[in-house]
Amino acid sequence: MANNMIELIKAALNNSGADAWMITDTLTEGWEFYFIRHSLDQNRAKNVEHINVKVFKKSEDGKFLGDASDEIAPSATEEEIKKTIDSLVLKAGYIKNPVYKLNPPEISGQPDGSGFNTADISADFINAMNELPESADADINSYEIFTSKVTTHIITSGGTDITEIYPSSMIEVVVNARDKDHEIELYRMYHSGTCDKAGLKNSLIRTLQYGKDRLKAEKTPALEKADVIFSTDDAVEIYNFFKDKLGAAMLVRRMSDWEIGKSIAEAKGDKVTLTARKTLENSSTNFSYDEEGAPVRDLVLLNEFVPENYWGSRMYTQYLGLEKSGIVYNYEISGGSRTEEELRTGKYLEIVEFSDFQVDSLSGDIFGEIRLGYYHDGENVKIITGGSVSGNMNQFVKNMHFSKELVQYNNVRIPSVTRLADVTITGAGN
Amino acid sequence: MKAPFSAYLTSIAPGIKKLIDLLGNDYEYVSALATDSPGFAVRVSRHGTSVGGKTMTTERGIVLRLYKDKKYSEYSMNRFDPDAPEKAYEEIKAAMAAQEKILQATGTKVFETEVLDDEPLTLFIEKETEQLPEEADISALVSFLDKLTAECMEKDPEMVECMSIAQSTHISKMFLTKNRDLRQSYVYSEGMIAAVLSREGHTEDSYKGVSGLAGPEIFAQLKDVAPDAVKQAQELLNAERIVPGEYEVITSPEVTGLIAHEAFGHGVEMDQFVKNRALGKEYIDKRVGSDLVTMHEGALCAENVTSYAFDDEGVLAGDVTEIENGILKTGICDALSALRLGTQPTGNGKRENFEHKAYTRMTNTIFDSGDSSVEDMIASVKFGYLLEGMKSGMEDPKHWGIQCIITMGREIKDGKLTGKVVSPVLMTGYVPDLLGNISMLSGDREVFGNGGCGKGHKEWVKVSDGGPYMKTKALLG
Repeated sequence: MANNMIELIKAALNNSGADAWMITDTLTEGWEFYFIRHSLDQNRAKNVEHINVKVFKKSEDGKFLGDASDEIAPSATEEEIKKTIDSLVLKAGYIKNPVYKLNPPEISGQPDGSGFNTADISADFINAMNELPESADADINSYEIFTSKVTTHIITSGGTDITEIYPSSMIEVVVNARDKDHEIELYRMYHSGTCDKAGLKNSLIRTLQYGKDRLKAEKTPALEKADVIFSTDDAVEIYNFFKDKLGAAMLVRRMSDWEIGKSIAEAKGDKVTLTARKTLENSSTNFSYDEEGAPVRDLVLLNEFVPENYWGSRMYTQYLGLEKSGIVYNYEISGGSRTEEELRTGKYLEIVEFSDFQVDSLSGDIFGEIRLGYYHDGENVKIITGGSVSGNMNQFVKNMHFSKELVQYNNVRIPSVTRLADVTITGAGN
Repeated sequence: MKAPFSAYLTSIAPGIKKLIDLLGNDYEYVSALATDSPGFAVRVSRHGTSVGGKTMTTERGIVLRLYKDKKYSEYSMNRFDPDAPEKAYEEIKAAMAAQEKILQATGTKVFETEVLDDEPLTLFIEKETEQLPEEADISALVSFLDKLTAECMEKDPEMVECMSIAQSTHISKMFLTKNRDLRQSYVYSEGMIAAVLSREGHTEDSYKGVSGLAGPEIFAQLKDVAPDAVKQAQELLNAERIVPGEYEVITSPEVTGLIAHEAFGHGVEMDQFVKNRALGKEYIDKRVGSDLVTMHEGALCAENVTSYAFDDEGVLAGDVTEIENGILKTGICDALSALRLGTQPTGNGKRENFEHKAYTRMTNTIFDSGDSSVEDMIASVKFGYLLEGMKSGMEDPKHWGIQCIITMGREIKDGKLTGKVVSPVLMTGYVPDLLGNISMLSGDREVFGNGGCGKGHKEWVKVSDGGPYMKTKALLG
């Protein structure tokens, strides 16, 4: 950390006329490896520091609190620092947000960060990719590995001084499968703290099989309506809908009407319970403090479809009168009433690959072009591709089911199988 | 006025050149891209306002590209001391040696590539702008957006929120090698206003944007588009669901641009050719659309948010005719992919910022106009939809599938708009079918530069796209 730089910034802030300030100094040491097949396309390293400064300014009558933020480059001169901060104080004065209380001070110990290093994590990723059971008809097209050690230091005028060190990794993988007529590809992206070698390999082995299946896929028939099973990380989008609707900013801005203590739907299926978690195993977002310096804690947000708490920035949670809330990084959905096996009965369409499955948190609309699905008509299974799903979560919540079994995708743990009823299916055409 | 080139970059140029010399002792090729791009983002809503110094493209840092033993490596940093380049040299050497150890321990082979050309070239360009973001009157801008959003709220009792974003960035980039010295500076800006309406738990939003190779003066145009955002949100609140099926459609210029971007923009990014990830590779000089289809791509083919003079690999900007009268002519290419494919780079090597790798990326992707009138196009439709507004899209270059999430469709029956609106609309299909069915194009065209483009699900960069009204057939759901 550039302590001298931080001291210069603190001195400038203390002489700026700001009513309060926050400095977030983030140091990232990152390693990246890019592969075409298993040959190295390029290797990259980075060592960068980003210093973000936020200043707060109260109006003269004390009714409003404005803020303005900017990054101060570690290469900035003392004159540039002063100019930036003076400008921020001026800009914060233009902002008329109703006054709210800033976070109380927090002090952390100095973490040692010696439990991991980017070299070992990188080697784990490379070795995991080299150990996959590829074949002539299903193999790895390309992959990109990103590993980093991140050190974050938050200091505020109110006395907060906290430091965290954590690993953050990501791998993007493209899988090919081919027969004599054509070749297809499937896309995967995995985020984690360090490398979960076993989990990564298991998922990619499954994806290699999906690839072979896609070669046999027929065009999606015009089913009009079908029960759809989500059993991959696309289901995270479904549960993010609930998390987003419980965001304090959404409530204050009247873009959500989910009231504390009032069920969000009359439902005959499973009801979602969503709990914010401080940590989940090997999540890339296991933070002790949020980005505004508030402690991260476990908190039930939605209990059997009944909102219990909202989450969000200090400003919006204060507007809702919430003292012990903050920003959510990890969350967990409690298991449902049925097993995976029980959910996979009757007629249903299980979709394991979309072009880009999306849920619009504002309207509740869902969208996704189907790249690979399995249509179970009660007796036979047909592998399908093309066409799309659509519908609205506000309707689906009335009769959704999800499994007792849970699965973790980086920073969320959700039911491994989710079943939505009466989803609109557009066929792939002729 | 000219957008002045960064004084900071000018001051560190000698130090970077010294670092290039030092690294030149160990590497066959060394380049440096240094960036210094300040900007601002003002967000005003009826329930919270903020001012920040970050946009998608604000940055200050340096990325070094290094070549030896047929391998390319890169190092990104932002604490460079121009008076002590030896310190950076030692830091880079240590990092590369540590990575090499891992590559050897894992038995990694290199995708061997030839060395980049380093013919002497100098360029200094400062593009015109009316205002600079550094000199913008933020107080006046906050007041203007506050008044505008307040006025929009008064237009409908069902409005629950109105928000506006104004962002402006002053880009300065410097590309240096032993023999090259390229420097450019330009300003681009983008603004957006969104209306949110709600009725009995049913909430819809609509946005309209402005963008251009221009300074903060462009935000005055938000006043002109704000009524359209409110009107469209009102229509969405009353919209019906579409009955899934194949329809005759007329795409508005915004939707035409989305198709250009998703269908053939990503499909001919030639770094995907190297990986054999794009079907386009096999279709060069073959038919991919009707005779009416001609499509251009390049930083020089429009003046918008990504109209630079040289790309992030020091290749001069271009204007590529990708499709000519329905025949796929060529793709776009970054410098390393060009070496690997034995072709020429097209000025499309872009990075999210100095911390990211360069990939082949789009700039301005635009369908050429035709000669039909929009009225004649609507009159020619027996039963279909006029598609307006875009939410998002996703490419599938390997199979030429396309997914476009479109804001709304206006029903056309027997050549007339019926007044019925459907929303949302998910358009999917096979790209050659979609382009092969294009039967009419309007005489005018528009270009849009709001938002960003990812490669897969990451590497976000600014792009613009557009075209005329276009008649074709599509699967809607």
